[in-house]
Amino acid sequence: MLGQFKYAVKYVLGLDHAGKHYTVFPDDTFLVSYPKSGNTWVRFLLANLIYPNETVEFSNINRLLPAPGVSSKRFLRNLPRPRILKSHETFDVRFRKVIYLVRDPRDVVVSEYHFNLKKRYIEPDVTLDQFVKRFIAGETSSYGSWWEHTASWIAARHGNPAFLLVRYEDLLTDGIGETGKIAEFLGIQAGPERLQAAIERSSADRMRKLEKQQADQWTGTRNTRKEIPFVRAAKSGGWKETLPAHSVEEIEVAWAPLLIFFGYELQGRQLDGTTMPLWVKTGQPL
Amino acid sequence: MIKHLMAGIQRGLGLHCPGRSLLIFPDDIFLVSFPKSGNTWTRFLLANLRFPDERANFANINRLIPDPSGTNKRDFDRMPRPRIIKSHECFDPRYPRVIYIVRDPRDVVVSQYHYHRKIRKIEDHSPIEKFVARFLAGETCPHGSWGQNIGTWLYTSEGNPRFLLLRYEDLVANTPRELAKVVAFLHFTAGPEQIAQAVERSSADHMRKLEETQTDKNALMKGSRKDLSFVRAAGSGGWRKELPAPLVEKIEAAWGPLMRHLGYELSSQSSSEARDSEYLGMLSGTPR
Repeated sequence: MLGQFKYAVKYVLGLDHAGKHYTVFPDDTFLVSYPKSGNTWVRFLLANLIYPNETVEFSNINRLLPAPGVSSKRFLRNLPRPRILKSHETFDVRFRKVIYLVRDPRDVVVSEYHFNLKKRYIEPDVTLDQFVKRFIAGETSSYGSWWEHTASWIAARHGNPAFLLVRYEDLLTDGIGETGKIAEFLGIQAGPERLQAAIERSSADRMRKLEKQQADQWTGTRNTRKEIPFVRAAKSGGWKETLPAHSVEEIEVAWAPLLIFFGYELQGRQLDGTTMPLWVKTGQPL
Repeated sequence: MIKHLMAGIQRGLGLHCPGRSLLIFPDDIFLVSFPKSGNTWTRFLLANLRFPDERANFANINRLIPDPSGTNKRDFDRMPRPRIIKSHECFDPRYPRVIYIVRDPRDVVVSQYHYHRKIRKIEDHSPIEKFVARFLAGETCPHGSWGQNIGTWLYTSEGNPRFLLLRYEDLVANTPRELAKVVAFLHFTAGPEQIAQAVERSSADHMRKLEETQTDKNALMKGSRKDLSFVRAAGSGGWRKELPAPLVEKIEAAWGPLMRHLGYELSSQSSSEARDSEYLGMLSGTPR
C-alpha cells in the first residue's frame, strides 16, 4: 500500500522509472541489442560521434545516450529531439528507427556468464556449461532468449530502410566502415578523422581505464564484484577457447538457422541449404 | 496538469489500467491475437470454461478475462490464479504461456474495415482500397501489421510447448475439438459436457443477443454506431465476396508464404511450392 502511494507521488512528479512505460516519439532512434552484445561500447561510440566536444565517460553516458530502463520519465520527456535511446527490448512496434546490434551467441553466453557472476545474479559455483543450458532456454535474462530477441526483430523489420543491422564482429574488424554506416543512418556528416577519433575515444583500453575510476558512478557497475571487470575481452571468437565443445553444439543445434542468417560459421553439422527458411534466404520483410 | 494529478491519484488507488507495466505471474496465460481475429469470441469461450458459475457477457468479460489496457490494476490484483489475460501485442518474452489465435488476413481486413465504420474511425463510403493499403502498412491499429504480429510470434515461438497456435477457421469449423486442445494445453479438467456448455454459451447467436442489451457496457462498443453490429458474420471466407481481386492479390503478395504456412490457400500463384517448403523447413527445424 505504501509502495503504491510512493509510486503515485513519483508518477505525479515525473520521477518514476520509465521502464517499458514511456512515450515513444516517431522521430526517436533506438540502439537495440540483446544484453552483452556490445551495446555499451556502441553507446560510447555514438556519444563520441555525436558530441565530439564532450568527454564521454561512464559517469555521463546515461545522460548522453540514455537508457529508459534507468531514467525517469521527466528526464526522457525533456531530452532534446530527435532522441537516441538505448534498449534491450524484443521487437517493439513503436520503435520506428532502429540500429540493431547482433553478436555471435557463443560469445554472448560467455560474456553474460561473467557479467552475471559480477552482478551476483548467479551463485559463484554455477558452471559455464550449466549456464549455457539456461541461456538457451532464455532463463538468464528478462529479455527472452537470444533466439527470441533476434528473431522478433528480423521477423518484423529486416529489409526495412529504417532498420540498420550491425554485427559486433564487423565493428571490431572494420570500425571505420561500420561506424560510417551508422553515422550515415543517423544523418551525421562525419569524415574519416571524426570517425577515427570517436573509435579511439571508445577503445577497450580507454573504457577499462574509465571503469577503474568510475565503477561506482554508473548503474551498470555500481555494487558489483570489483574483481570481475565489466569491460572484459572486447573481442570475438573467445568462445573457441572457453566454451566446452558440447555447449557449442547445444547452441548450434538450437539456433542454426539464425546463426547462418547472421553469417556465423558453424563448427558442427552444416544445415542443408534447401531447408533454410525463406526469410533467411530472401530476408522478405513482413 | 489536473489530468496528470488525477492520473496520479488513480495510481495511488490502483484504479489505473496497468497496460505495459502489468506485473506478470509465472502461471499467467495470455490469449493473444491480432485485432478482429476472433479474440472476443475466444474470450467468451475461455471465460465460460474457466468460470462455469458466471455466464460470460459483455459487462463482465473485462473482469473474467481482463485486458491490460481496459481493466484496472485493482481488478487484476484480485483475480483468482491462474489468470487468463487478453492481449493484441506482438511477441513479448514475458508471457509465460500463450494461446495465439490467427485468422486469414483477407477476412481480418474486411472485419476491421466494418469495425472502424462502427466506431466512427472511417466514413461509410471510405474506399476499401485505401483501407487495405493502410492495413498492409500496419497503420490501422497500434499492434503492428498482421504479418508482424503473427510473424514475431511464429519466428520466436513455434514449436515451443508453451505456445499454442489455433486458427480461427478451425475454431469455427469444430469448436469443441479446438477447445479440447486448449483444455489439454492448460491442464484444465473439463469433460465434453463442460466444453459443450461453454460452446453453447458463447455462440454467435447468444453473443448477438447480449450485444443488443449490453452494447454500452463494453469499451469495445461504447458510443459506437448502433446500426452496425460488433458480432458480425462470425464465419470464414467472407472476403471472397467483399474483397476486390486486386486487393486480394496485394495481401497475398505481401504475406503469401506466411499465409500458405498457416494453411490459407492463395488465389494467385505468386509464390512457388519450393519457396514454401523452405519456409516450413525453418519453422519445424527450430526447437524454440
